[in-house]
Amino acid sequence: MSAEEFAVADTCFLIDWAYWRRRNVLPGLFRAVFVPEEVLREVKSESTLEWVAENLATGSFALFTETQDVVGFARAVVERSRMLPIRGVDLPEAVCLAIGKMRGYIVLTENRGALMAADALAELSGVRVWRSLDLISQAFRRGILGGDPEAVFMEYEEDTGHMFPPGGVEGRNR
Amino acid sequence: MSLEEKLEKWRRLEEEAREIRRKQADWKFIDSQPPRLRAALRLYVEMGDIRLASKVAGMGVEEFRELLRRARVPVVV
Repeated sequence: MSAEEFAVADTCFLIDWAYWRRRNVLPGLFRAVFVPEEVLREVKSESTLEWVAENLATGSFALFTETQDVVGFARAVVERSRMLPIRGVDLPEAVCLAIGKMRGYIVLTENRGALMAADALAELSGVRVWRSLDLISQAFRRGILGGDPEAVFMEYEEDTGHMFPPGGVEGRNR
Repeated sequence: MSLEEKLEKWRRLEEEAREIRRKQADWKFIDSQPPRLRAALRLYVEMGDIRLASKVAGMGVEEFRELLRRARVPVVV
């Protein structure tokens, strides 16, 4: 089993992705998506909680109980991110980044602070961070989604209130 | 890419995202909100930091995300 078959999702990712009409493509992309307890605590709406619970029940999602080493690393990431002129990260995102670093799982986020930290902090080098944009692109590459990618991206934007960078599917991946 | 180049790239992307949020936001809705929510929405438009803005609003992240949808402020990532 490869670490690439697993992902860890943060709050911003879950609460947006859950709004998308095709949200159930997610389980097809990974063997399991871990949801840290720190993240689960922040999910409050009935519809998102139901979706998360359904996926926990089927084993598509798995609860990740943070260990002391993960929390310690995450706290250091929070502090370091605030030393640079970038948007800092808070503990829930930092926990996901720490899991990404320490376990090799792909980090799913819609939080630009998490993207910035993964890009700028040397201690997070090698961490793979995917946005919904990257996930949808992967779903097309793997044949899980078909049809016109632009239409699907637009659909995601409509459903979630998201806005992807301009420039088409390839141009979006900058 | 050096750290300085990365920081410059993010500074540019943040400016682009700020312009998109300013342009797309429903300012009539934002201005009709109570002071705390109005301040939080304006802060989000300028900074894009959902955690900071939700704390100013006195809301959880998910609840504030719903308010952003109602205010037509896009999340640009």
